[in-house]
Amino acid sequence: MQAQTRNRQWPWVAIVLSLAVAFTLSMVSPADSVQGDLVRIMYVHVPAAWLAYLAFFVTFVGSVGYLITKDLRWDRIAAASAEIGVYFTGLAIALGMIWAKPTWGVWWTWDARLTLTAIMFFVYLGYLALRRTTDDPVVRAGRSSVLGVLGALQIPLVHFSVVWWRTLHQPPSLVRPDGPAIQDPLMLTALIVGVLAFTVVYGSLMVKRIELIKLDDRKVAIEQSIERPVAGEAVTVPDLGASS
Amino acid sequence: MSDWGWVAFAYTVTYGSLGVFAGSIAVRIRNTRRSIGETE
Amino acid sequence: MTTGFWHQAAAVVHRDLLRERRRGDVLWITIPFGAIALLLVPLAVGTDAILLRQIGPGMYWVIVMLFGVLVSVGKASNETLPQQDASALLGLDPASGFVGRATSATLLLLIFEMVVGVVAVGLYDISIIGIPWLIVTLIIVAIGLALLGTLTGSIVNSTSAGTALVPLLVAPLSVPLLLGATQSYEGLRLGHSILSWVLLMVAVVLIVAIIGVLTARPLQEM
Repeated sequence: MQAQTRNRQWPWVAIVLSLAVAFTLSMVSPADSVQGDLVRIMYVHVPAAWLAYLAFFVTFVGSVGYLITKDLRWDRIAAASAEIGVYFTGLAIALGMIWAKPTWGVWWTWDARLTLTAIMFFVYLGYLALRRTTDDPVVRAGRSSVLGVLGALQIPLVHFSVVWWRTLHQPPSLVRPDGPAIQDPLMLTALIVGVLAFTVVYGSLMVKRIELIKLDDRKVAIEQSIERPVAGEAVTVPDLGASS
Repeated sequence: MSDWGWVAFAYTVTYGSLGVFAGSIAVRIRNTRRSIGETE
Repeated sequence: MTTGFWHQAAAVVHRDLLRERRRGDVLWITIPFGAIALLLVPLAVGTDAILLRQIGPGMYWVIVMLFGVLVSVGKASNETLPQQDASALLGLDPASGFVGRATSATLLLLIFEMVVGVVAVGLYDISIIGIPWLIVTLIIVAIGLALLGTLTGSIVNSTSAGTALVPLLVAPLSVPLLLGATQSYEGLRLGHSILSWVLLMVAVVLIVAIIGVLTARPLQEM
């Protein structure tokens, strides 16, 4: 029992360790020549954005997997990834705004990537909203998987439309809103380690979130199988006082 | 606000929200295990 | 039902248009809603003619995206579960049901676009240019939005949250149509080629149509 509990906690340990390493590197790496210390925000913003896209892709794979196999395990993967994805998408947007304000003086820059991430956030949110409308796991899985496929296949088109729209409306002399490319090796390392650390965080959260889904499903199954008195048995036929 | 102030803000938001999110999963797992343990 | 795919789809179109003629949801509710939205905007942002001419085309297409999708919502929620079961038992191919419903939604959306368009031109003093391409844009947007609304309606399928959930789900996915429509108008105004935008919108239509047809039977069987 003790070994079981210890084994179950490894995802949390993994999260703490990987983030500790990434954080150290982010603080130790040099400041950027143009952005100064603000570049350190990139070491969490870029990984968060990367995870947002990864999680979205995994939800797509899970949706396709369910549609093909009708095995609920695929649906659990899709759902867990969607919830974690919403979180990281929101975080990426928040961090993008926190970076933009001191850099550009505005919270929102309407550049292609930020706008696309915001749209993706709402696609995810809609997916989660849809799941909340059904209790039946099979119906829920079926509907979610179709929406998951629809959303994922539309995203490339959304991407193109937003990118084209921005190239038409942004003067080419403007510096890329997400800053100049990072070239210093220590800075590049900090960025890559950040991405790796966040990927570990994603994987650990997935393990735990899927565990929670399975527990919830088991709880629902138990509740439904318990013998309970039928509610109608609490009501008796009214005595109308008529002589029989 | 200074640049380091913004960086601190960003990292607080990051680790703070991650802690809340991960923590909520952990708490929900514990509560669900308990309620299953009660009925089994 | 032993009639062919397209005959079944046509029967569904006929049924939907008949329903619209009787209940008039689109005519009496959705179109006026879109029109009053156009009326409210200048009350909020100001009535300066130059400003309105600038934002007019964009506002029109946003109203089409957000409010036009209600054309599909009304129809999806019109079909109760027993009605769906009856269609299934009669042997209606779910894919032709989907095509039929999307087609009737397209026709109703075209009417929506035209009536609300007249209101927009009047209130915002929008200049109408490049009529052939404009008509192409109106048709493609109508088809794309109808497909998105019909498929999403099938996914949500008469759950209690249906009325607001379908627009929420469609809104982000309608961005390529929104940008395609607005950038096409801009392009026509400035004399640019809008072929890439048109092709992008056609891609949306094709992908949603294919997904809709392929998932029609799995969705019905839930």
